[in-house]
Amino acid sequence: MNRRLRAIVVVCLLTGFMGPGTVFCTSQNGAQSTSPPATQTPAREAWQREFDRICSRTQEAMSFSEEDLASLVQRCDALAPQIEKLDETRRKVYLGRLHMCRGLYAYVLESKRNPKK
Amino acid sequence: MLAAALLMTGMALAQIYLPPAPPPPAQYGRVVLDSHAVRSPGAVVFDHWLHRSKFTCRLCHVDIGFAMTANGTGITQESIRKGYHCGACHDGKRVVEGNVVFAACVSDQYVPACDRCHAAVKRGVRKYDYQSYTARYPKTNFGVDWMTAEEHGLIRPADELAGFVPAKPRMPVRGDFDIAAGVNWVRPVQFSHHKHAVWNGCELCHPEIFATARKSAVQYTMFSNIEGHHCGACHLKVAFPLNNCAMCHTRAPMWAQQ
Repeated sequence: MNRRLRAIVVVCLLTGFMGPGTVFCTSQNGAQSTSPPATQTPAREAWQREFDRICSRTQEAMSFSEEDLASLVQRCDALAPQIEKLDETRRKVYLGRLHMCRGLYAYVLESKRNPKK
Repeated sequence: MLAAALLMTGMALAQIYLPPAPPPPAQYGRVVLDSHAVRSPGAVVFDHWLHRSKFTCRLCHVDIGFAMTANGTGITQESIRKGYHCGACHDGKRVVEGNVVFAACVSDQYVPACDRCHAAVKRGVRKYDYQSYTARYPKTNFGVDWMTAEEHGLIRPADELAGFVPAKPRMPVRGDFDIAAGVNWVRPVQFSHHKHAVWNGCELCHPEIFATARKSAVQYTMFSNIEGHHCGACHLKVAFPLNNCAMCHTRAPMWAQQ
């Protein structure tokens, strides 16, 4: 590990304890770091927190039980009407992402209910 | 005449597919976005080769919400200014690889900086050019070999954007598998689920591109790929082109000595 990389790792480890909105270190294959805007990240609204809870778990979808997946799909469906009420930009962005989350969970649920033939 | 007819029939029966020749590497993956707005400083030229060296496909096409089909995203100056789409990074504050990312669409009036993105039919306005930017990356006949570049540590695509989405847990490594070819003279495709998952996540491919988990229901062929479906959704536009047969059909064809 060269000195620069070691320094990045140290910074990442240290700032990892400082909570969200400081410096971010990616989790995939030692990917590069990006830092967020210097301004304080505004508090996330209730719908957004629910969105984060649902859609931040797609990487683990294969490890969920059928019940968990069905629940996540339901939560996506429940969240969609709230996002529909947002302004056009956020509606477009978040509905698209929610659609992808829901699609994946439904896809994995289907694969578990109907094992490959 | 008869020989030609027989040859063509034979090719058809043998299912020899000829993907369209890709554009030159510098233009491969180029997207031109034109709102045709009266006050627009011209169409935006987006080159994938620049951004894909810094970010995973998943980050932009899932988290930031860039659709993979034309006119599917709805990018506007307003959305950028609000910190969405291009504005998720191009806000004049975010730091990538030690550099502050320039702010996009901040002025209502035309300024020369507009040309960094609104570059269609303008010469000499781009900051980066393909040849010099990719000079240090390994190449194939079809452009940069991004997989090798990553394996050698030449690129380290970021997969998350601080402040935009919460950090995700590390994805479990998915097993690679073979995909049987539809014809008997081609070896199976050795599909790297791991490589695809690391760059794309799960939801970029499933279920939008590969719609069903039931193996018997999957009907993708080279024909569907060439039409832009399935593998062709990426491997005709941005990822290495379908013409680079050996990247997927990694083992020699049936007629070649093993």
